[in-house]
Amino acid sequence: MAKEPVRVLVTGAAGQIGYALVPMIARGVMLGTDQPVILHMLDIPPAAEALNGVKMELVDAAFPLLKGVVATTDAVEACTGVNIAVMVGGFPRKEGMERKDVMSKNVSIYKAQASALEQHAAPNCKVLVVANPANTNALILKEFAPSIPAKNITCLTRLDHNRALGQISEKLNVQVSDVKNVIIWGNHSSSQYPDVNHATVNTAAGEKPVRELVKDDAWLNGEFITTVQQRGAAIIKARKLSSALSAASSACDHIRDWVLGTPEGTWVSMGVYSDGSYNVPAGPSHTHVSLKCFLPFNSVLPRPLALSE
Amino acid sequence: MAKEPVRVLVTGAAGQIGYALVPMIARGVMLGTDQPVILHMLDIPPAAEALNGVKMELVDAAFPLLKGVVATTDAVEACTGVNIAVMVGGFPRKEGMERKDVMSKNVSIYKAQASALEQHAAPNCKVLVVANPANTNALILKEFAPSIPAKNITCLTRLDHNRALGQISEKLNVQVSDVKNVIIWGNHSSSQYPDVNHATVNTAAGEKPVRELVKDDAWLNGEFITTVQQRGAAIIKARKLSSALSAASSACDHIRDWVLGTPEGTWVSMGVYSDGSYNVPAGLIYSFPVTCRNGEWTIVQGLSIDEFSRKKLDLTAEELSEEKALAYSCLS
Repeated sequence: MAKEPVRVLVTGAAGQIGYALVPMIARGVMLGTDQPVILHMLDIPPAAEALNGVKMELVDAAFPLLKGVVATTDAVEACTGVNIAVMVGGFPRKEGMERKDVMSKNVSIYKAQASALEQHAAPNCKVLVVANPANTNALILKEFAPSIPAKNITCLTRLDHNRALGQISEKLNVQVSDVKNVIIWGNHSSSQYPDVNHATVNTAAGEKPVRELVKDDAWLNGEFITTVQQRGAAIIKARKLSSALSAASSACDHIRDWVLGTPEGTWVSMGVYSDGSYNVPAGPSHTHVSLKCFLPFNSVLPRPLALSE
Repeated sequence: MAKEPVRVLVTGAAGQIGYALVPMIARGVMLGTDQPVILHMLDIPPAAEALNGVKMELVDAAFPLLKGVVATTDAVEACTGVNIAVMVGGFPRKEGMERKDVMSKNVSIYKAQASALEQHAAPNCKVLVVANPANTNALILKEFAPSIPAKNITCLTRLDHNRALGQISEKLNVQVSDVKNVIIWGNHSSSQYPDVNHATVNTAAGEKPVRELVKDDAWLNGEFITTVQQRGAAIIKARKLSSALSAASSACDHIRDWVLGTPEGTWVSMGVYSDGSYNVPAGLIYSFPVTCRNGEWTIVQGLSIDEFSRKKLDLTAEELSEEKALAYSCLS
């Protein structure tokens, strides 16, 4: 007997990341190839025609798993009944804009979206914020959607996590599927900390620590870190456009592992509401600005990891 | 025990369709979620940096099935050992260009690619031509790669086929997965003939003919046909860019059904080398209804063709014959 469809919202759906993401969702990459989906796509009025073009293409592709498409510029209609919300829409930084201006615009957007989600999404809706500044947008969303459990509001650092796996796999010339348990700590920005101290590689002789195999601490503490931190800029330089393919794919990984579980012995990185673990500042009682932090996360509470200086 | 990786080539990989297609291939949409792949991506030198950016993103996405990426501007390197070739690269029509100019440029491209594939691809390489004029590009490729079996050279009309399914599903307000057996005859152009005379819908009361359920022959013989024929232009109008998402997805469907087989009782549309079936001239790449089994396609025979349909089949065949003549005139 076929499963009931799950409603998945993508905001900013007429943009680059949305265009890469929606066919992935429609093919079952996000929730499994046996899980029918109904896509809700939201964008701003200037993008309405382009958004309708995306809807037309989704119909044209005749996806067996796709049981409906709602394409709208109305946040209420977009949020109604959604079980998963992937917030890709936001105000991008333009040349000459001050950091405060970008932040100001995004704070307004995420305050409004928070309301719409809180009032209209399905109970236990899982939220993933992708649009930058991802962590802070997610925090604003959380603050203005108090009835959405904090644990249901996350931001994307899986892209950075996957990038770190990719860098290690290239350095060691191994399959990326044999590398695991890197960690991305902190902000989805160039201040993130890609940490390999607990990462391993599956070899013929069993799981081996990455540091042991790489044998190059200078690289692991230096160039490796900056490469992962600045990878977004490197993609823009090469493509003249920002990462859409890899961001969309990582968003699917984030949701899939959250919903379906991480494999035994493996953790992933997610931007989640900090509870004070690892002495990372938590909650509004600690400071007037709560931090969204990345923690190693699996379906069982993580055992404390040893942190070096 | 994991399967050996399959090498899949995408030409024009730095473009829009390529960018939509490669993550689909890397996730197993084309060959199954248990089939590891190695991607070969080819584009022209001006696109080399962008192509490398795509390769970087493929590494960044940490796809478990993706066992290697070759990104190159060298056709020989790109074609070496490939089992599947999806030819998305071509010369697009630009404002002010004559049809003959576009044809001439694409004939040169497909003649060169034919050589590279013939000499360097793996035996039994399956080829799908997407770049327009798809049918004629495929024909040129066939002519200049004589040691590639004609049956291994196809062009994409699965997009039109899927568009037709989508239009019927919207008209009847049913799930598209319940509609099947439309046919796209002929050229992947506005002369194509989307035929629903044998199409059915899976209903609670069993399979029912589309014509019976739609009850609107005027629409099925009129607006439905033109909507499907002109859908590409409608997408461009809405998006200001041509269809990439749906083209890429349909390319995956085309290859998947070809390699893994069509479901029982279902056929699909593929542009294939005509053997004269349905009185279509032999020696053209023409879209027919096909079933697939054991990695081979077979034209569905014996379907009734009414007078209305006959005219449409012949019209699109005529256009293809003209295109073939134009292409050959560019060669001399």
